[in-house]
Amino acid sequence: MSATTAATAERGTIGDPVSATPVVPQAKLEAVFDDIRSHILYDHELHGCLNCGICTATCPSAHYYDYSPREIVQLLWTENLEGIYDAMQEKIWSCAQCYTCAARCPFENSPGGLVMIMREVAIKHGMQSAKDVLRPFSRVLLKVISTGNQLAPNMITREAFPDWGPNVSKIDAPLNVLRKAIPVPTMHTMDTAWEVNLKTSVELYTIWEATGVLDQLETVDENLFDVVSDVMDEKRDEYQEWLDEQEEEGDAD
Amino acid sequence: MEKPGEKKPAYSGFGEEWRPSNLTPAEAQRATDWVEAKIDKRSMLTKKDRVEDTRDAMWQLEKEGEIVVHRLDERHEPVVARTLYGWEKKIPTTNLWHHKSCGQCGNIPGYPSSVMWLMNELDVRYLDETDQTSCTAWNYHGSGIGNVVSLAAVFLRNFHQAYMSAKSQGLDVGTYYPLVHCGTSFGNYKEMRIFLMHSAELRAEVKKILGKLGRLVDGKLLIPEEIVHYSEWLHVMRDRIRERQTIDVSGIRATVHPACHVYKMVPEDVIYDETVLDGNRVAVSTGLLQTLGANVVDYSTWYDCCGFGFRHIIGEREFTRSYAIDRKIKVAVEEAKADVMIGHDTGCITTLDKNQWIGKAVDKVYALPIMADCQFAALALGAHPYKLAQLHWHASPFEGLLEKLGIDWQKAKAEFETYLEEVKAGRIETLYDPKRAITSGPGYVKPKTPAQVGAGE
Repeated sequence: MSATTAATAERGTIGDPVSATPVVPQAKLEAVFDDIRSHILYDHELHGCLNCGICTATCPSAHYYDYSPREIVQLLWTENLEGIYDAMQEKIWSCAQCYTCAARCPFENSPGGLVMIMREVAIKHGMQSAKDVLRPFSRVLLKVISTGNQLAPNMITREAFPDWGPNVSKIDAPLNVLRKAIPVPTMHTMDTAWEVNLKTSVELYTIWEATGVLDQLETVDENLFDVVSDVMDEKRDEYQEWLDEQEEEGDAD
Repeated sequence: MEKPGEKKPAYSGFGEEWRPSNLTPAEAQRATDWVEAKIDKRSMLTKKDRVEDTRDAMWQLEKEGEIVVHRLDERHEPVVARTLYGWEKKIPTTNLWHHKSCGQCGNIPGYPSSVMWLMNELDVRYLDETDQTSCTAWNYHGSGIGNVVSLAAVFLRNFHQAYMSAKSQGLDVGTYYPLVHCGTSFGNYKEMRIFLMHSAELRAEVKKILGKLGRLVDGKLLIPEEIVHYSEWLHVMRDRIRERQTIDVSGIRATVHPACHVYKMVPEDVIYDETVLDGNRVAVSTGLLQTLGANVVDYSTWYDCCGFGFRHIIGEREFTRSYAIDRKIKVAVEEAKADVMIGHDTGCITTLDKNQWIGKAVDKVYALPIMADCQFAALALGAHPYKLAQLHWHASPFEGLLEKLGIDWQKAKAEFETYLEEVKAGRIETLYDPKRAITSGPGYVKPKTPAQVGAGE
C-alpha cells in the first residue's frame, strides 16, 4: 500500500474534512482505482510524470474550465484515490479529447486517454456525474446503438441547435427533397446519415452485446436501454425473416 | 546561397508579404531552438528513437500466422509518401472503398460528394456501399460508452467488409481498399491497430467476436497494411487535380485548420513533405491548396483544436462556440486576414462553420467561410457550388468567397432551385449507379456470371 493510500485508509473518507460522516467508503475508492489501473490500456497511457505541465499549457479545456491534464496524470501517478474520485465527479468531463496533450508529453503519456479510462470507470460504477453529463447525449446514443450511425439529418433542427442560426439549409425546401438532391445515392436518407444495411446494424448490435456496451447503457440510462432493446429485437426479427426467405428461395431453386 | 538578382520565393506559410529575417546562423539556431521548445512537428521528433513502427509488429504477427494483412498492391496503384520520421507510407490512388463519416454525410454532405466527384473527374474507381457503420469513436470520446474491444471490433468489421466487398461485383477479394473520410475514424483506427498489435488479450477478444460475425479471413484477423485518410489521397493526387483546374484561386488568402485526430493521434503516421511549409507542418490540405495556387496564410493559433470536444458540441456548447470564435475564427480573420478557413475533418468543419452565427449576440461577427479541402478543390475544378459542393448546408457566409473566385452564386443558386423541381419529380442525378451501393442483404442483386451473360439471362 502506498503512503497516499495508507493516509486515505486512516482517514477513511473523502469530502468535508471536519465531517464525521463517511462520504465515500475507502473500499469504494479502492474499487474505482482498481478498475482504472487494471484497464487494458492503463500502462500504455501512463509512463511517469515530472509535473512539467506542457500538457496543460496546450490544453483547450484548461482555458475555460477548472481542468488540468497535468493534475489528472499526477493524481493517477501518485495514486491519490480521493483526488481521483473527486476528479471523476466533474473534471474528467471537461476534457475536449483533442489529444494535444498526448502529442506533446515528453513521457508519452496520454492524459486524454487516461480521461477516457476514467470516464469508462465512472460509467461502470454508475456515478451520478456520468448520468448527468450523458443526458443530452441520449439522442446520439440511441442513434448509434440502434442504427450504426451517430448522426442523422433529421437531428439537425433549429430547435435542437438554436445557436447555429435560423437556417439549417440556405435553400428553403423540404429536408427529404434536399437530401435527394445530394448526388450520392447512399445519402438520400433522413433517419441515418447514410443508408445502413439491415445486416450491418444487426452485426453492430452483436458487437455491442458482446463487449458490454449495452450493460454500460443500462447503467447510465435504463429507459434508453429498454428503447434500444425493443428497436433491435424488431430489427433482428426482420433480418431473420429475410434470411428465412432466402433459405426458402434457395430450397425452391 | 542566394545568387545576386535571384528572387528567393517567400516562405509561403506567412503569405506573400513576408520578408526574410536575414538572421545570422547563430540567431537562426536560437530561434529554431525556441520553436522546437514551443510548437511544431520537431517537438515530436524528440521521441523518434522511442516510437516503434506498428507495421513491424504487424508483419511479424502475419509471419507467425496469427493475422492476415490486407495489402496494398498494383490494383490500388499506390504512391509512397513520407511521414513524420521519414518513414514510408503507401497511399492507394484507385479502387477505393469509401469509409464514410456520419457527421459529414449527416451534416456536411458536400464533403463526401466532392470527394466522389473528384474521383469521377480523375477516372478513379471506387465503391460506396451501405454495409458500413460509423467507427463509433465520436460517441466513445464524447460519452465514454464503448470500450477498446468494441472500437477494435467495429474497426476490423468495417475493414473486413471493405476487403470482401468486391465479391459482390464478381471481383477478387481485396480489390477495394478502405479510404477513411473522418479524422476521428482515422485517428481511432490507427490507435486500435497499435493496441491490437500490442495486446494478445485484445486480439483474442476481438477474434472471438468477429468469428461469430463471420468476419475472419482463414480464421484470422484481417489487418490493413495502411490506414489512409482521404486528405492523404488528395495530397498525392494534387498535381493531377491541378491539371484539371479551371478557376484561378491565387487571389484567395486561405488558412488551414489541421484536425487534432488527424495529426496529433499516432503522429508518426502523418504525412510531412519538405515542399509544404518546409516540412514543418502536416502536409495534407496545405499542399493541395498551394498546388492549386491559393495563398496559404499562417496564423498563431494553427495548433489549437476547433473546440468540438465530442461531448461539448452536444451538451456544452458554450465552450465549443467560445473556443471556435476566440481561438480560431477571430484570429484567422484579424491576424491572417483570411478569405476562408479550410479543414479536413468532420467535427472541425461543423464546429467552425456552425458556431459563427451566435457571435452576433456578443458583437463578435467575423463571417469566415468554412469548408473542406475537397470542396475547395472541387470548386477550383468547376464543380457546381450547390448541386455538387452542396454549400447551402454551410452556415458561414461562402457567397463572398465565390464572388472572389468569379463564380456567380446567385445564378448557381437559381439553377439548383430549378433542379429541386426535377428532384421532386424523381429525376435525380447521381455520381454512380445506385445499385452498386447494395452489396449484400435485402436489395442485393448478384452479378451475372459470364455464362448467364452469354445466355442473355
